[in-house]
Amino acid sequence: MIRFRVNGRSAVPPYQQIVQQVRQALRMGLLAVGDQLPSVREVVAATAVNPNTVLKAYRDLEREGLVEPRAGHGTFVRALPPGPPPGTHSRLGRTLASWVRQARADGLDDEAMESLLRVTLQASAEEEIA
Amino acid sequence: MTAVIQTSGLTKHYGRVTALSDCTLTVPEGRISALVGANGAGKTTLLRLLAGLAAPTAGEAVVLGGTPRQDPAYLAEIGFLAQEIPLYRRLTAQDHIGIGAHLNPRWDGALVRDRLASLKIPLDRPAGTLSGGQRAQLALALTLAKRPRLLLLDEPLAALDPLARQNFLASLAEAAAPKGEGEVGGGLAIVLSSHLIADIERVCDHLILLAASRVQLCGDTETLLAQHRVLTGPRKDTTAIARTHLIVREDNTARQTTLLVKLNGPVIDPTWTVDEPNLEEIVLGYMSQDEAGHGVGRGQAAGRLSAIGGDR
Amino acid sequence: MTWVTWRQYRSQGALAAALFAALAVALLISGLHAAQVWHSASAGCRKDGICGNLSLTNGAFTTLVIATTAVPLLTGMFWGAPMVAHELETGTNQFAWMQSITRRRWLAVRAGWLLLAAAVLAGAVSAVVTWWMGPDHALNADAFKANRFDITGIVPVGYAIFAMALGIWAGMLFRRTLPALAVTLAGFAGLRELIALWLRLHYMTPVTVYYKLTGSPPPKGSYLTVSQGIVGPGGQPPVGTGNYVFNGEPIPAVCGKAIQHPGSIAPCMTAHGYREYLTYQPASRFWTFQGIETGIFVVLAAILLAVAFWVLKRRDA
Repeated sequence: MIRFRVNGRSAVPPYQQIVQQVRQALRMGLLAVGDQLPSVREVVAATAVNPNTVLKAYRDLEREGLVEPRAGHGTFVRALPPGPPPGTHSRLGRTLASWVRQARADGLDDEAMESLLRVTLQASAEEEIA
Repeated sequence: MTAVIQTSGLTKHYGRVTALSDCTLTVPEGRISALVGANGAGKTTLLRLLAGLAAPTAGEAVVLGGTPRQDPAYLAEIGFLAQEIPLYRRLTAQDHIGIGAHLNPRWDGALVRDRLASLKIPLDRPAGTLSGGQRAQLALALTLAKRPRLLLLDEPLAALDPLARQNFLASLAEAAAPKGEGEVGGGLAIVLSSHLIADIERVCDHLILLAASRVQLCGDTETLLAQHRVLTGPRKDTTAIARTHLIVREDNTARQTTLLVKLNGPVIDPTWTVDEPNLEEIVLGYMSQDEAGHGVGRGQAAGRLSAIGGDR
Repeated sequence: MTWVTWRQYRSQGALAAALFAALAVALLISGLHAAQVWHSASAGCRKDGICGNLSLTNGAFTTLVIATTAVPLLTGMFWGAPMVAHELETGTNQFAWMQSITRRRWLAVRAGWLLLAAAVLAGAVSAVVTWWMGPDHALNADAFKANRFDITGIVPVGYAIFAMALGIWAGMLFRRTLPALAVTLAGFAGLRELIALWLRLHYMTPVTVYYKLTGSPPPKGSYLTVSQGIVGPGGQPPVGTGNYVFNGEPIPAVCGKAIQHPGSIAPCMTAHGYREYLTYQPASRFWTFQGIETGIFVVLAAILLAVAFWVLKRRDA
C-alpha cells in the first residue's frame, strides 16, 4: 500500500501532490495494475487533509485513465502512465546540456537558470489549461 | 445546496462591549470551515451563538434549518467543544461515556471506546490526569459519539503540541470523511476556529474571517484562491486597476507597488506581474488593511465586501 | 439525569452517610447511658429537689449535639453553592448543556435529588438528636430555647431545604463558588439569627402572667421566654436611684430606705404595687411553632429556587 506525504508548505496544492505521488509510484513500480489505492478515510487519517482533497485527486487520476473506482470495494489501478519513448531521456539530456552551456556563456548563474525554468514550466502549464 | 449555517445581521453586545457586529455569513453543507481571526475578534462569541449557548442581541442565525435553542432535538444534532476542553476532572473517560449515553438519544459509545483504544488513552483514569492532547481527543470523541450533523470547535489546537495537533486534525478530517467508498460526504459539517491559518489550511475547504467583530471574508477556499491575485509592478498610480478590480491591500515602496486584489476579470496591463497568493496571504491582507483604520478595500464594490461568498 | 447526578455526587453522599453513621453510633451509646442515669436517679432527685445538679452525660456529647445545628448550613454550602457555580467556573456546564437535555431539566433533577438528600440527612440527624435529648428535656425543660429548638423536631429539615435553595440561588447569580459559599453562609446565618432571636418570639401573641415579687412557680414544661421583669402600678418598670438592683431591676426611689435591710425590699415594693411579669410562649405551642418556622423556610426556599430557574432561563450559558 502506498503511503502519501503531503507537505503543507509546498507551493504545490495538496491534491496535486497526491496525484503526483500516485503517478510517481506507478512509474517506479511501487504500484502495479490491479493494486488498491488507500481509501479516502485512510489517507485523511494519515495526512490530515480535507476528504474532498483526496476525492478530487482520485477523480483527476480517474479522468487520466490511471485508476478506476469499483463500487463498494475501493479505487484500483487501471493502467500505467504513458512513458516517453526509449532514448528520449538521453536525447533531451544532450539538448539540455548544450542549452546550459549557452546560458552560462550569456551570463546566467544556476539560480537564474532555475528561475527561468520554473517560470517557463508555469507558463507552459497555463497554456495547456487555456 | 442547502446551507448548514446561515446568519443575517448577527450582533452580540455584552454591556458596552460589542463582540459581534452585523455578521452575515453562509456555510454550505459538507464543509470543513476555518473560522479565523485575531484574539478577541469574536470567534468564540459566534460559535456560542451558533451552538445556542448564548442568545444574539440582534440579527438571526439559522443552523441546520432551525434557530439555535435549548431543545433536545436541536442539541442532538450539534456538537460543541469549548476552548478550555471542559471535562469533569475527577470523572474517568468511562464515566463521561456513561453521562453521554444517559443524556443523548443517539449515542455511539463503541466509537469512543474504539478511538480511545487506538490512541491508547486509558478509560479508567480521572480526566484531570490525562495530558492536554489526550483530553482534547477524549472531548472530540465524546462530541462525535452524539453523531451530530454539525461540529463547532473553539480553538481546539490552542493548547496542543505539534504531534497532538496533527493527530487531532487527522481525527477530525477522518470524522468528516465518507464512511464507505462511493459515499459522497460524511454528512458532518465542521467549523473550527483558530487564530493561526497555517495550522488548519490543509484540512479546511471553507473560510470565514472575522476582524473587529465583523465578517471580512466568507467562502470556499478554492474560490477565494481563484479570486485573489498579488500584483507587483513599478511604483505607479492604481486608479486604473481600482476601476475594475477590488484592491484589498496596497503597499508602496519608493520603486515598487504591491497590491492584493480581488479580481473582477483579467488583468490587462502587462506592467503588472501577477502571482497567486496562498490563503494566509489573503487572510493577512484583509486583516491588516482593517487594522490601518481604513475601510477594507478600495475600488470596485468596496461596500459589498462583507457579502463575498463562495457558495454555488 | 438521575444517574448522572448520582455519579457526580456519590462520593459526597458516601461521606455524609459515614459521618451520620458515626454520629448516630456515638449518640446511641451516650443516649442510652443518659437515659439509664435519668431513670434511676430521677425519682430520688425530684423528691429532694436537687435535680439541677444531676449530670446526665459527658459535656463533649452535648457540644457535639449542639454542633449539629451546622448540618443544614454545611449541606447548603458544600452541595448547594457549588452545584451550579462550580460548573460555570470550570466551564463544564458547556459540556453538560450541550448534551441533549434542556438546562431546566438538568437543574431540576440535580436540585431535586440534592434537596431530598439534604432534607433526609437533616431529618435523620434531628431524629437521633431529638431522641438523645429526651432525658435532658425532662430534666431541664429547655426544649423551646433557641439552641435546642433549632436542632430537634422538623425545623432542621426546613433549614436544610432553605440552605440548599440559597446555595443554588447564590451559585446561579454569582457564577463563582467562593462568593456563592460566602453569600450562603452569611445569608443563612443572618436569617437564622434574625428568626431565632426575634421573629420566632412573635409567631403567636405571647401570654403574659404577673406574680408576686417573692416568686411563684414558673409555667409548666418547656416554655419560651419572650421577656420578663418587674412592673409598677402604672405598668412601667421601676426607676431607681443609685446602683442597687433587685432581681435585675433598679430599686424604686420610694423604697430607697429598704436598701439597708435587703429582706425588706420585696415587701416594700410589693406594698407599692410592684409585680413580676413573664411574657412567654407556652410549651403547648412547641409543635405549632415548629410547623410555622419550617413553613417559613420552605416558602423562602421555593422563592429562591424560582428565581434561580428564571435566571437559568434568561442568562447566556
